[in-house]
Amino acid sequence: MEMETVGRDGVTARALRKGTARSLGDNDRWLGSLMIAPAIAYIAALVGLPFVLALYYSMSSATVGEQTLGFVGLSNFASILQSSIFRGALRNTFIFTIGSQVAVVVLANILARALRADFRGKWLVRFLILLPWVAPISLGTIGWKWIFDSIYSVINWTLQAVGLLEPGSWPMWLGEPKLAMISVILVHVWRMLPFATVVILAGLTSIPQEILDAAAVDGAGVLRRTFRIEMPLTLPIMIVALLFGVVFTFTDMTVIYVLTRGGPYDTTQVLASLAFFTGILGGDLAEGAAISLFLFPVLLAAAIALLKIARRAEVV
Amino acid sequence: MTDRKTRGLVTRRDVVKAAGAGALAAGVGPAIFTSKARAQQKTLKILQWSHFVPGYDKWFDEVYTKQWGEKNGMQVQVDHISVTEVPARAAAEVAAQKGHDLFMFLDPPAHYESQTIDHTEIVQEVEKKHGKMLELAHKSTYNPKTKRYFGFSDSYVPDPGNYRKDLWDDVGVFPDSWEDVRVGGRKIKEKHGIPVGIGLSQELDTNMAMRAILWSFGGSEQDEHGNVTINSKQTIEALKFVRALYKETMTPEVFTWDPSSNNRMILAGKGSFVMNAISVTRTAEKQNPEMSEKIQIARAPKGPVRRIAAEHVMDVYVIWKFAENKEAAKKFLIDYIDNFREAFLASEFYNFPCFPKTVPDLVKLISNDPKAKPPDKYKVLADVTEWATNVGYPGYATAPIGEAFNTFVIPTMFAKVALEQMTPEEGAKTAERELKRIFAKWKS
Repeated sequence: MEMETVGRDGVTARALRKGTARSLGDNDRWLGSLMIAPAIAYIAALVGLPFVLALYYSMSSATVGEQTLGFVGLSNFASILQSSIFRGALRNTFIFTIGSQVAVVVLANILARALRADFRGKWLVRFLILLPWVAPISLGTIGWKWIFDSIYSVINWTLQAVGLLEPGSWPMWLGEPKLAMISVILVHVWRMLPFATVVILAGLTSIPQEILDAAAVDGAGVLRRTFRIEMPLTLPIMIVALLFGVVFTFTDMTVIYVLTRGGPYDTTQVLASLAFFTGILGGDLAEGAAISLFLFPVLLAAAIALLKIARRAEVV
Repeated sequence: MTDRKTRGLVTRRDVVKAAGAGALAAGVGPAIFTSKARAQQKTLKILQWSHFVPGYDKWFDEVYTKQWGEKNGMQVQVDHISVTEVPARAAAEVAAQKGHDLFMFLDPPAHYESQTIDHTEIVQEVEKKHGKMLELAHKSTYNPKTKRYFGFSDSYVPDPGNYRKDLWDDVGVFPDSWEDVRVGGRKIKEKHGIPVGIGLSQELDTNMAMRAILWSFGGSEQDEHGNVTINSKQTIEALKFVRALYKETMTPEVFTWDPSSNNRMILAGKGSFVMNAISVTRTAEKQNPEMSEKIQIARAPKGPVRRIAAEHVMDVYVIWKFAENKEAAKKFLIDYIDNFREAFLASEFYNFPCFPKTVPDLVKLISNDPKAKPPDKYKVLADVTEWATNVGYPGYATAPIGEAFNTFVIPTMFAKVALEQMTPEEGAKTAERELKRIFAKWKS
């Protein structure tokens, strides 16, 4: 049987340990670090490590079947620059991102203002608007695939039923380059809008009522209130939403993959989908990594710039 | 403190303690309880796609593998995933160096060669019993440079023409050649408003159909030795033909397609001719018997040079180097081929044997199928070995061929020319640049 050690001042070792644990548990700094450690470990393991690995892959000769990685410098980047498919995907990525984010920012601002007003069934409308964000994106996109289907397109049937489409005319939403790009942007906007709306709505509701009251007393109308007061005050939060949207759109391929797989003839191919086709399906992991990391420096610079703007725009 | 506890309040310390205990239980618990069970019997783990014919999976999972397991004192675990998940799953298993003992691909996985065992031993054993394997199976699983079989192919799926007999009879044309498809397809479109449906999209069926046209006009991506040969007079002729075929017989919907679109098109009565496996007619037999009688099967159309088409799907099993039960996996494959006739029947003639002698009465079986209308509907596939070939023809299905296949170089070339975004000459030249770039990467 283990004997309890008694200290000089008569305190047992167990009591001492208990006391130490209790004091550590009550120490905000220690406990704070402990609580955040899993999150840091999670990010390091699932974001940091893959990112470092991707960086190395992009400068290696890695394939999906090779465990040994030969260092090849920047030759993968040089190789993709020679590819017309890559250059097209790069252009499409900018069109897709800018197009969708401009629409998201404009629509989210309108929607957030509409949702701020009191009306009957507001909770239901808010719930419905949030639905695309909480529902699995692949399911939603498959639904859109049917909406744009070449034979069963609901849009075409409706347009024809109300007489807006001439007989014999049947737009191929995913089959004509411009329509296909509009379609993927539309679905991506549908997907991103709820998040941006909620973020902007949170920003709007945080504006002190006295500022709005003062503006009303001074005779500011809707436009002046929107552009002179609300916009500047919600700018930091809007920039955060925009930054999230831009980074997310640049690096996501779900909508493109499900709807068009980059077609017709690569006109909706973006860097994220091309990286997947090349790296995972085509087996050239190194080139896939190079494609996906190609815009990283641009994104990093954009993120820093946007965060700086947001900081400057903050009202203390 | 005691008061807070009795009142049911939880301190931060309690949360930390509870979380720690929970994490420990979650992490260690399953390991303790499952390790005992694992030690009892070896398990052969197989991963393959969810077969198009559900009856095949039922036979494979519930009958064949069970019987094989009992006979060999092993458990057999079969996991099914969808076709689209196969490549990502393979990459994950290789990265983790852990996974299934037998992994089935649906196209030749040449880029995984360094991760798979040499399957030569299995091929030799099976050939000893059942005779030579088909050339298309050999070229889909063998690397002539390393002289290794990186996989083992049990079966392939033919890719014939599926045509609406009523419509083609009405215009008095039979789709025996690509020229017939163009001429007859145009007449049907003009008379009935029903187009031909050969995909021009970034998907599997387009990949196969465009290669069929390319080869039947004498063009190819590479020669027998793996040199890029796409920029040729023959390719340019094939491109001109597809441009005309699209303009005269099709609609822009072919640019929107996924692999199931042509099935839907012809089954909905909105297409006169598609290139596809017999999945089209099997679906019609089950869901639309009236349409089933109208849709008939034709051999792949012949071109000016030859009658030829790619396999629609190539089943290739691999045994990873890191597999836990390599010997059992080898034995399973050898035994499976011994029983391939059953597999052929369970797949409703979808999977054709790579070792033809395993189904000696194949012609008799497909000539009298009670489900088909007429019963000899599938008889036309009797000579499929004469016109079906591998991706990469006339060479081998190598890693660069695989990358070109999966990044849709050939469908993109045909689509751009069909829509007059490029001239046939420009299309061939652009594809050549892309193929040379891909081939150079893999060579280095």
